[in-house]
Amino acid sequence: MMDEIDKKILNILQKEFPLEEQPFLIVGKRCGISENETIIRVKKMKEEGIIRRIGAVFDGKKLGRVSTLCAARVPEEKIDNFVQIVNANRNVTHNYRRDNEYNIWFTVNAPTDKELKAFLKEVKEKTGVTDILDMRAATTFKIDASFDV
Amino acid sequence: MENLTAKQKIVARVIQKDIAVTKFPFKETGALRGLPQGEVLRTIRQLLEKGFIRKFAAILRHQKAGYKKNALVVWSVPAKQIQETGNLFASFPFISHCYERKPAFENKYNIFTMLHSNDKKISSFINEMATAAGMNDYLILESVQEYKKASPEYFK
Repeated sequence: MMDEIDKKILNILQKEFPLEEQPFLIVGKRCGISENETIIRVKKMKEEGIIRRIGAVFDGKKLGRVSTLCAARVPEEKIDNFVQIVNANRNVTHNYRRDNEYNIWFTVNAPTDKELKAFLKEVKEKTGVTDILDMRAATTFKIDASFDV
Repeated sequence: MENLTAKQKIVARVIQKDIAVTKFPFKETGALRGLPQGEVLRTIRQLLEKGFIRKFAAILRHQKAGYKKNALVVWSVPAKQIQETGNLFASFPFISHCYERKPAFENKYNIFTMLHSNDKKISSFINEMATAAGMNDYLILESVQEYKKASPEYFK
């Protein structure tokens, strides 16, 4: 379980990560604990899976990448195979089953539009699932996956 | 597409993944070893300033951080109100993502919002949004199962 210090560490690491030579020393100071204790706590939260990673979130669009949200209507008996084939592609970043007749929702992030379209065509051919919506972001209002804990 | 310099790419390849949790992570992680620490940090700041990096931070698994519930809520918003409604939805702290998408889902649900909750019921958040925007035509697409969640790898 996380205590109040863990929560404070998480909020700092999410919103104000110190880009300095000894970031955990600075975070520790702000929480009133030593650098060593900070490192131990952060490692523990990684082991427990609370922290997925510490690093950079790149702006895919700025790097010229193309992304989309897909929704597919997949018959129950085809779901396992469909998910396996979709997830095998490293450009697929999210995949969820949702409560709708379009039951499988996944995001794809590809180097080019051509590659993205080719992937969706390949998925359709390999799985026999042809009803896949390809919904591109026309306007981005917000991307901020940080959470107050 | 804007290109990164060779030096920026070395750093980008490492920080798109996961830095070490050590005293000096910027000189103790993979290929950063051997690079001057100050240069690594300068490169990261440059990438941030130029907008290649949106943020440098800890990325959480939100379910494990106490955010048990999430839902994709899609809204049918008249064309003239898209901008205003999108900005309004984006201002709610429990919304992590907000987009206008084309084509719209079911030919009408054009604003997509991703909502996260730690305690309050998802429905009370949605009511708050609906009331604020004066929008009542929406669909709640709750996640039943997670099959994949990964960070994209842009640099090989």
